[in-house]
Amino acid sequence: MTQTALTADAIAAYIATRLPAARNVRVEALSQIPGGASRQTFRFRLQYDGDAGLVDRRLILRRDPPASLIDTERHIEYAAYHAFYDVPGVPVPQMLWLENDAALLDGAFFIAEEISGFESGPMAFVNEPYLSQAAKLATRKWTILGEINRADPAMLGLTEVMAVPAPDQCWRRELDHWEKIIDEDELEPQPIIRAAIRWLRANPPRPAQKISVVHGDYRTGNFLYDAQGEIHGILDWEMCHLGDPLEDLGWGLNRIWCWGGDERRGGLVPRDQAVAIWEKASGLKANPADLHWWELFNCVKGQGIWISSAKAWMDGTNREPILAFSAWRMLNTQDRAALELMERL
Amino acid sequence: MNPNAQAVLADFASRLAGQIMPQLATPYLMSSAGLMAAVMGMAVEQFDGAAANLVEENRAIRGLFDEAAKLGTPADLAARLERLSRDDDDLRLSALEAANHGLRAALIELHAWTEGEPGAEALNGAIWAELSKSTERRRLSSAPF
Repeated sequence: MTQTALTADAIAAYIATRLPAARNVRVEALSQIPGGASRQTFRFRLQYDGDAGLVDRRLILRRDPPASLIDTERHIEYAAYHAFYDVPGVPVPQMLWLENDAALLDGAFFIAEEISGFESGPMAFVNEPYLSQAAKLATRKWTILGEINRADPAMLGLTEVMAVPAPDQCWRRELDHWEKIIDEDELEPQPIIRAAIRWLRANPPRPAQKISVVHGDYRTGNFLYDAQGEIHGILDWEMCHLGDPLEDLGWGLNRIWCWGGDERRGGLVPRDQAVAIWEKASGLKANPADLHWWELFNCVKGQGIWISSAKAWMDGTNREPILAFSAWRMLNTQDRAALELMERL
Repeated sequence: MNPNAQAVLADFASRLAGQIMPQLATPYLMSSAGLMAAVMGMAVEQFDGAAANLVEENRAIRGLFDEAAKLGTPADLAARLERLSRDDDDLRLSALEAANHGLRAALIELHAWTEGEPGAEALNGAIWAELSKSTERRRLSSAPF
């Protein structure tokens, strides 16, 4: 299933409707960029004549594909970015326009500022100049997550756009959601992850200590960083929701993100060090038994994502190479991560 | 089939990543080419052992079913395991995979049964051991874990 190619003229015409005072609106250097497994991502340069002269901005457009790794509502992602834009300590790009009319550009989309000039690849930590900054980046990474989880969803306005679960139902809601995805999308039986689901249902965690904003995909690879160990943008909020903050911590600790091939979580620092940074920043506690539950749950969630990517590729709804790559590379790795947590590896 | 499939795929993957990818015009196309090369590399790694691994795994799961038969599994489960007990005689990958899927689906049911069944602890442990081995068979050298 293919979409109409985006054109600079079509984007310029749309932006002109959103900036009625702008004259001579034009879009240049339009280019699709990698990493759009959940949404197609394009970079472009916007120029127009404004009251104070020429305006020149580098922008990002994220458009819904026919099918994605993660099926989510774009207005949720947009709201999350928008909410954190004014929160000190949580760097995110500025959101500009959300458009739900899929007819305009053959898919709903939003447009945001581009934070340019920084690294995002998860494998870059393996080498200098980033390797020697791993500890500093880890401190920034898990401190920012602590800030996200510490924030008050109601004060951010997110309780108006996201469902608010009861503290004792967070685990059930998430597990039901991801088990259903696996039920619907699996192309082959998954004995390891089914055993994990049975264990999770038999051994639920305690109620969430607070209802937090859960980024939903907070991991190395979804933020922009530099060679001095600073983080400049937290990206990929498409799975953002309200829930137990330990869900976010558990996802980031998942063994599948050990890009260095060793114990360092997210390719940065050992597990206990990451947890300590998060506890200090969030003011929350990571009870070991509860965190273990959420870490194993995140193996189920991960498998749901890889299974869905395989399904979308096989049924032809999305033939992006990243879907085949992710399925092949991650399905077995995710099983191994689950086995390790269940002490069966 | 010569040149053999592994050699051809490995060479094409190498050329795609090393020669073609750098010539492409946009980061998106370069990334796509790199991913295609990586997927081809994984296929190279799995190609030679694919049938052998499936035969080994299917045989191991049938061995677990033989053990289950001694424990008095519920009649419907026992009948299902019995139906799956015949050795693989069609060695095409598609046939071996289809058999594997049937066996692993039944294994899920058997595994769940052992969890609540006094006297099935040893079989439960043997199932876990086989599941661990199954991930070793499928493991890729490029996997982060």
